[in-house]
Amino acid sequence: MKNSFDEKILEEANDWLKANQKVVLATVIQTWGSSPRQVGSRMIVNENGDFSGSVSGGCVESAVVRECMGIIKENKPHKKIEFKVSNESAWEVGLACGGEIAVYLEQIN
Amino acid sequence: MKKKLLEQIIKKKENKDEFAIITNIANGESCIFEKNKSIDKNFEKYLSEISNHFNKKKNGIIENTDIFIETYVRPIKVIIVGAVHIAQYLVDYAKSLNFEISIIDPRGYFATEQRFPDLKIINKWPEEAFKELETNENSALIALTHDPKIDDPALQHALKNKFYYIGALGSKKTHENRCQRLKDAGFSEAEIYSIHGPIGIKLGGKSAPEIALSIIAQLVEVTYKK
Repeated sequence: MKNSFDEKILEEANDWLKANQKVVLATVIQTWGSSPRQVGSRMIVNENGDFSGSVSGGCVESAVVRECMGIIKENKPHKKIEFKVSNESAWEVGLACGGEIAVYLEQIN
Repeated sequence: MKKKLLEQIIKKKENKDEFAIITNIANGESCIFEKNKSIDKNFEKYLSEISNHFNKKKNGIIENTDIFIETYVRPIKVIIVGAVHIAQYLVDYAKSLNFEISIIDPRGYFATEQRFPDLKIINKWPEEAFKELETNENSALIALTHDPKIDDPALQHALKNKFYYIGALGSKKTHENRCQRLKDAGFSEAEIYSIHGPIGIKLGGKSAPEIALSIIAQLVEVTYKK
C-alpha cells in the first residue's frame, strides 16, 4: 500500500522553486501491462537537467529529463508523453519489462 | 501546476489531511479535492466520479475523461492484541506497507518499550484499551494471545465495529472453541465466519517471522479486496 504522505518529492520541488530554479513535475498517469512504478509515481526536473524521484526502474528517466528541459525551454505549460516496449537490441529508450506508461509533465509556476 | 497549489498540497500533507490532487491533463488546470467540501468550479461536473475514485482510494485517469486523480489517504489502522514475538515481526513488515500499528497487551512483561521501540503499546485490557483508539470499518484486528480472556473481548469489539479484517491466531481446535464462545455471546454465523482463523495464508512456515509474513500477506490481500 502506497503511503503518499511519506513521499517528499513535492516538498523537494518546493525547495528547488525557493532556490529560484525552474521545476517540471513528471507524474505517471497511466500504465498498461507490467510497469515498474505505479500510477502516481513522480520525478522532478530542473532547467539544468538535475532530477529527483523516478517514473520507471531507470528505463525512461533520461528521456523524461530531456522532455522536461524541452518544455522549460519552449515555455510550454504541460505535455503528455508515452513510452512503449523497447527493442532490446537497440540503444533506444523504452521499457524492457514490456509495459507501457504515460507520463504527464507540468511546469510549476 | 500553480506554485500556490503546491504549497497548499504540502500543508495538507504535513497535517495528514485526506485529500486528492485533481489535474485536467488536457488543459493543465489542477485543484485540491476534499470529501464533503466544494470543488473548483472547473471540475464541478466530474465531482461524482472524483468522489467515487477517492472512496476507492484509487489513483488514475477517470474513464473517458482527461481528469487525473491522485489520492492521499491515511494509513490503515491495525490493532494487534498480544505483544508477543510474532508481533515484533509484524511491526517490522507493517512499517513499509502503510499500516499504522497499535498493540494492546495487559501483561506488562510483554508490552515493554524495549521490545517495541517507537510504538504505541496500550498496557490495558482490551475493553479499556479500545476507549483510547478510534476504530471503524477501516480498521483491522490481529489477535495473537490465544488466551480467551484477552482475545475474546477484542474480537467482540472488532465484530461490533465491523472491522474489515479480523484474524485470530490458534489451532483449528482453538478456533472452534473460540467460535462457540462467540456464538454463545450472541454473534451470528456470518459474523463469526468473517474471522480469519486459523490466521494467515498457508505458507508452510512455522517460525515467528514466517507466521508474521503469512498474516501480513493475508492482511494485504484482504485490504486490496476491500
